[in-house]
Amino acid sequence: MTDILDISRPFTAYDRPADAETERAVTRFLNAEARTLDREAYQEWLDHFVDEDIHYWMPDMETRNRSDARGPYRHGDSAYFDDTLSELKVRVARFVEPSAWADNPATRHLHLISNIEVYETGDPSLLAVCSAFTNVRNRNETDQDVIHGRREDVLRRHGDDFRLARRRILIVQNVLLSKNLNTFL
Amino acid sequence: MTMCRGSCQGAGRPDMTPVYPTAGSYPDFARLVNRDTAQVDRRVFSDEAVYQAELRQIFARAWLFLAHESQIPGPGDFIRTSMGEDDVIIVRQRDGSVKALLNSCPHRGNRVCMVDAGSKARGFICNYHGWSFGLDGGLRGTDGKVYEKDESFEKAQIGLTPVAQVASYKGLIFGTFDPEAPSLEEFLGDFTFYLDIMLDNEEGGTEFVGGAIRSEIDCNWKFPAENFVGDILHAFWTHQSGAQAILGGGVDLGKRYDELAFQASVYGHGIETNLDKVGNTRTLGYPELVDYVFDLSERARARLGEVRARAIGAVSSATVFPNMSFLPGQNTFRVWHPRGPGKIELVSWTIVNRNAPERIKDLYRKGVMMTFSPGGVFEMDDGENWEYSTRVNQGFVTRQQPLHYALGLGSEDLERNLPGIVHKGSLNDANQRLFYTRWAEFMEHDNWADLQNGATAAPARTRAAAE
Ligand code: FES
Ligand SMILES: [Fe+2]
Repeated sequence: MTDILDISRPFTAYDRPADAETERAVTRFLNAEARTLDREAYQEWLDHFVDEDIHYWMPDMETRNRSDARGPYRHGDSAYFDDTLSELKVRVARFVEPSAWADNPATRHLHLISNIEVYETGDPSLLAVCSAFTNVRNRNETDQDVIHGRREDVLRRHGDDFRLARRRILIVQNVLLSKNLNTFL
Repeated sequence: MTMCRGSCQGAGRPDMTPVYPTAGSYPDFARLVNRDTAQVDRRVFSDEAVYQAELRQIFARAWLFLAHESQIPGPGDFIRTSMGEDDVIIVRQRDGSVKALLNSCPHRGNRVCMVDAGSKARGFICNYHGWSFGLDGGLRGTDGKVYEKDESFEKAQIGLTPVAQVASYKGLIFGTFDPEAPSLEEFLGDFTFYLDIMLDNEEGGTEFVGGAIRSEIDCNWKFPAENFVGDILHAFWTHQSGAQAILGGGVDLGKRYDELAFQASVYGHGIETNLDKVGNTRTLGYPELVDYVFDLSERARARLGEVRARAIGAVSSATVFPNMSFLPGQNTFRVWHPRGPGKIELVSWTIVNRNAPERIKDLYRKGVMMTFSPGGVFEMDDGENWEYSTRVNQGFVTRQQPLHYALGLGSEDLERNLPGIVHKGSLNDANQRLFYTRWAEFMEHDNWADLQNGATAAPARTRAAAE
């Protein structure tokens, strides 16, 4: 497996920005993905945005001293998501049940994506994409949860389009300031 | 306490020996739990005065879960946690023992440890004025040796306040702020019989997967604690969607329910279980884990006997009073830290057998994440229930209405040879009634003799079953 597909390795120095056309196409892809998630169209998300070999990881972010070699997160330790496609499908299967009470009545979602950077990698079929996000969920009358974080995505070219092959989600919260995570980030 | 006005020569030297609170008695609060009518007054979930009494009567006295031995294997390894709302550091000493220390500098009170965990620390240094403390909590020195030059300064008696007693049960480290508290074994009582289903089903015991998942829920801490102590009932309705997603069908308590399922309670600690072998494990969604637990269950029969061997992976849940819970076979392990009457911090871990194959440990980690973490298909739907059960009590009239805890009245099982107060069937409010009875005992009694000999104690006739 090439390094870039190793989920446990955060992006280091990618220094070859993709051309403007690729960057625009990737931006369109990420915005369309965000809109799909806002609509809770999770099956569409799996079908049109996610690749077969997806690895979707969101570690728990610990507060550690700078000198601590373990660092704030480590693959293989506790995580919110550490999913392959079959596991993402299980989560989607719950969302579509009418008795998924935490989603019925519906949650109002907003995925704001920004700070998009697109880099070429050693493999011409793969792009390294950094972005930042603000995720807002609002329910019932006044329940509101906001999560900020960064994503490190590996996108695979599929003709003119892309599919998500890897996603590393690094949030800025230590204690998740929410009762649940009824969304994808 | 009077302070020296400046010219005194040591007469007003501060006494810095640790102060441990004493308990009181709150009979009015104890009466909020009505055993005769199986009702609980909602003020136990919403009243600030009740909450402050809980911090004094329960969290400053009961043995509370602090850490798993595996989280701090070597000298200087530490983790930070809470006892009630008190911030504490759990640290392995050079001689291998464990100390728990209040995470507050005796100088101006600042927290001396800011991180979740760490390894091989030599001590803790306060960021404010640089007082430094050894692993045992004793003051080692001050920045610039300013105090050391002051003749009246006696650092020997200054240190981080130690948690009064610390002890382990099969890998789990507990602590209590009460120097008078009975031993951990006495506090757990015969409930250790049921803890062993999870902690001692195989040679080598257990360990925690690294890290922890922390989250906030705007609910009273007792709702999740009572949920795990004996509310399998909610699974059918609350978790229908999760069960459908993972199992392709509704929640299933397994075969021979009428004959095998039971609830057992000792001192408010409780377990509800069927004896279906793998019902909980199945909900993690990995057939390999089900095979593993079937094998484990077979092997454990010699060690634990037939009943407990069948419970290792069965549909079941448990709480150790007041706020530690786990799911046998599912292997989520958690603490509900109170943060006011209407808020908790949930910290959850995955517990695995130390001698399990690495592949199995990782499947448990993933399975717990898929089911019982904030994004998990089961836990996802719990939080909102507990939040609204708490929040509606802001309504003045609403909170005058008592709550119904009367499922399974008269279902006590006097025949079955199991330790504790045993009730027939796991669909039963019995353990929850006993959880609140225990809560009322803590509100009422200011001494351990009364606390350990009340209605929640295991009946003498069941003691033999625990041997
Ligand atoms: S508060 Fe800790 S050194 Fe002053
Ligand atoms: Fe639940």
